[in-house]
Amino acid sequence: MSKKAIVSLLVLSMIAVACGGTDDAVEEVVEEVAMTTLEEVQARGFLKCGVSTGATGFTEVADDGSYSGFDVDYCYAVAAAVFGDYSKVEFKQLTAAERFTALSAGEIDVLIRNTTWTQSRDTELGNDFGPTTYYDGQQLMGRKSDGLSDSSTLADVDGLRVCTNAGTTTEKNITEGAGLVGATIELVTVEAFSEAIDKFIAGECDIVTTDGSGLVGRRAVNDALNDWAIFPASPISKEPLGPTYRSNDSQWADIVNWTVYATIIADEYGVTRANIDSFDYDAAPEMGRLFGKNDGELQTKMGLSADAYYNVVKQIGNYDEIFSRNLNPLGLYREGSYNDYWNNGGLVYAPPAR
Amino acid sequence: MVDVIKKKAKEVQESLFSSVGSSVLTIGTSYLVLNFFRGMFGFVMSSDKDWLAVLNNMQLYMVQAYPESDFIRVWISVGLTFVFSGVSIGLWRSDDRSNISVMFDRFYKLGLGVLFFTIVAPTFTSYMGNDGYVITEEVFSRSSRIGMLIPVLLITVGFFLLKNRKINFSFNNSDAVFLYLSIPIALIWIIELPTIQLDQNKDRIIPDPLMPIANTTKVPWTVIFVLFLLSYFIGIYFKEVKRLKNIMSISWFLLPLLIFSWIFKKPQIEMAEVLTGDIPIFLIFFAVGLGTVLLINNPIVKKYYSIYIGVVIVATIAGVFISIPMLAKACLLLLGLFVTVVPAVSTSQQGKKSLIIIWAVALVTLTFLLRGGASETGIVVPGSSIFGGFSLTWLLAIFGTYVSFPLGVLLALGRNSKLPIVRIICTGIIELVRSVPYITWLFFASVTLAVFLPAGVEFNLIVRVLMVTAFFSGAYFAENIRGGLQSIPKGQYEAADAIGMSPFQKIGLIVLPQALRAVIPTLVSSAITAFKDSSLVTIIGLFDFLTIGKTVIDNQSVPVNFVGHQRENLIFVAVVYWIFTFTLSRRSMKIEKRLGLGER
Repeated sequence: MSKKAIVSLLVLSMIAVACGGTDDAVEEVVEEVAMTTLEEVQARGFLKCGVSTGATGFTEVADDGSYSGFDVDYCYAVAAAVFGDYSKVEFKQLTAAERFTALSAGEIDVLIRNTTWTQSRDTELGNDFGPTTYYDGQQLMGRKSDGLSDSSTLADVDGLRVCTNAGTTTEKNITEGAGLVGATIELVTVEAFSEAIDKFIAGECDIVTTDGSGLVGRRAVNDALNDWAIFPASPISKEPLGPTYRSNDSQWADIVNWTVYATIIADEYGVTRANIDSFDYDAAPEMGRLFGKNDGELQTKMGLSADAYYNVVKQIGNYDEIFSRNLNPLGLYREGSYNDYWNNGGLVYAPPAR
Repeated sequence: MVDVIKKKAKEVQESLFSSVGSSVLTIGTSYLVLNFFRGMFGFVMSSDKDWLAVLNNMQLYMVQAYPESDFIRVWISVGLTFVFSGVSIGLWRSDDRSNISVMFDRFYKLGLGVLFFTIVAPTFTSYMGNDGYVITEEVFSRSSRIGMLIPVLLITVGFFLLKNRKINFSFNNSDAVFLYLSIPIALIWIIELPTIQLDQNKDRIIPDPLMPIANTTKVPWTVIFVLFLLSYFIGIYFKEVKRLKNIMSISWFLLPLLIFSWIFKKPQIEMAEVLTGDIPIFLIFFAVGLGTVLLINNPIVKKYYSIYIGVVIVATIAGVFISIPMLAKACLLLLGLFVTVVPAVSTSQQGKKSLIIIWAVALVTLTFLLRGGASETGIVVPGSSIFGGFSLTWLLAIFGTYVSFPLGVLLALGRNSKLPIVRIICTGIIELVRSVPYITWLFFASVTLAVFLPAGVEFNLIVRVLMVTAFFSGAYFAENIRGGLQSIPKGQYEAADAIGMSPFQKIGLIVLPQALRAVIPTLVSSAITAFKDSSLVTIIGLFDFLTIGKTVIDNQSVPVNFVGHQRENLIFVAVVYWIFTFTLSRRSMKIEKRLGLGER
């Protein structure tokens, strides 16, 4: 046999080895003939939802591998709206660095990963943001033994060591904020927030800063309500968190948006998982329209079944239920926060269903 | 006795205090090491650590979300691995015997170590409380220290006396593995561990009650141990059968494929696809191979045989790009390999017969494994992959090494080739892959590779990671192997040419065995690196062993609150990685010894 044959065989085997890895994993070929996201999801049979790799209260994995959390519940809600079965979700855990690429590459259908809605993310990255599900804001946490209290201001951190995670808006906000009030801080940056809080607990820094929800949660689970102070009372930044989807598919955007709105409207009318079947829909025609009790053409025009949002509330619950189930155990309450119902001075508000 | 002490004292003096400089070094280092140990001990024992964060999440660590109803599949996978190991240890059982005093010596030294650390362990440890003040607490009280010292001292003295008695009893080194393993197996039936119990309000009961280990854990492990032992005896019984050793070697290669494509995966087989797709393809390729072997001596076939090989090779390359069933692509590749070895082997009637058998077995295996691999999985998990935690680490490590090793051999041979194009391509691949950091390749796999693939083809993220890993560690393997190839004297090649060996025989029988043997230490260290590097997939959101400990458990607030217990989990992860890599490196030392590396 000639040498040429051997050589070509070698080259070939290399190609084969490269392709050999593909044996068991060519997923079903997705036909890209201008399918809308909804058609794609329905053809696939399940929703691909991008969530965090781990955020207490928002995305958690329990000891048996099951998912729970505020963001996870909204993934379930979208699946319930599309399929009438909340369990038809495949979760894709994404790091902060990959989330938008994964969305634009079509690896996920919707990103619900405590992502802050900002102008650049909205305009430059080819994404659109849905209604805000959680209004957060950056705050600082320090020890009361250092003379800090809940009424402290940014000026009080002068000369202290501040821990935060690098490369996020958090870092920029604190540098900017401290510079404005003329406080000099020693910034200690770490890769993830959990490291920052570990350093804070070990005394390697005096202040830790991130979104208020994260701070309140950690203070509660560390049993340090009386020892740690969270300030300033009005956060140093606005962090509206909500679902994100690809631009230019308004049908899919409407489905996600109205899933969120449906949970809010149900909360407004006091419709819960428990009373959803005994609720008097004749007295509240808006609820009737939203849940497809009358003709349901509002939903069918969107490409969903008439009872799509009935399924959402029936299986997942209304906004208040989702909120209290996941965030109350961490010490995060709606009362008095921006996440309160608009009638009570909060920002949670939905357009009318008609 | 006095002589012994004098001798020891001299040894100590010579190795640790031979000069002023070495004395300073010795004292300085021991101070650091001791303090490190004391700090570590205090850290592990202090009451603000919750080690149940590790224990309670064992299932998550091992298989992540794999459903409990299908756990039998996980156990079968583990069990099969142990059975194969048992048979292999039996087949390759070493004849080295050690005197029982060696074992006593080992226990004696262990006892000495425990004794030493019991004495130097700190009584108090301190950590910072929530209010910012340092809390000091007792972690190792005087009474518990004495309560531990006395039995350890007695046991150590006992082993010391035993080891110095000349007992005329020796045991086989391979048998000792089973003796040592029986200790943890016995322990899981005896010891009780703190377990998390929730009361009616779903609050954790503190302190955690002690509970025996659940039957769902200890029964499978015991069964596996018994099977392990049985298979060891089977191995010993068939020790003289040489063919079994060859079969075993191939089985080790196929076992992970079988586990991942059939046992772990639970494929949903559609009979219609098997009948209309797999069986006809199998029959066609079997017939082609059969015809090749039978007609090889026909003069006309002989004349056009190189054209035939060329056609098969072109078809294989074409097959990669056109849409034909995966099985056909793989079979074409196999056929390409087969037809190149046929002329060399089918010189005798016996050779032809075994070729046909090998062809049939290879095709059946390939069809079987590919059917399992290509079918939909019946395992339902909430995430995108049925692999997670340790099963994912294992998958990445095994397939990373499996695919990259042959690729490395090919690249190394190609780089040494006399043909310029092949050399340039291979050098180019190696240099391109090596000059970019692994993390960059992972990001490439995660976010960029999808763009390069033809429209409509979509690979699972894990497969994309495996592809870049194969190339990355393949390039490193290639450079290691090239070092081995350069150590082969030119005379070896010339001698092979002189006795009329074909290039294949020359490479396969003369060059590679010597070259690989020379680089075993570096190959093992590459394999260890591949195993450890698999943890880097955490940055692209794959849930390997490390990610579970670092990110997932640290954020767990339901059903039990483990938020903020990252450090315990990181220590646990480090210990597990250490156990595996340490075992691997010890094994490779044994192999080196057996091959007489560095001695001949």
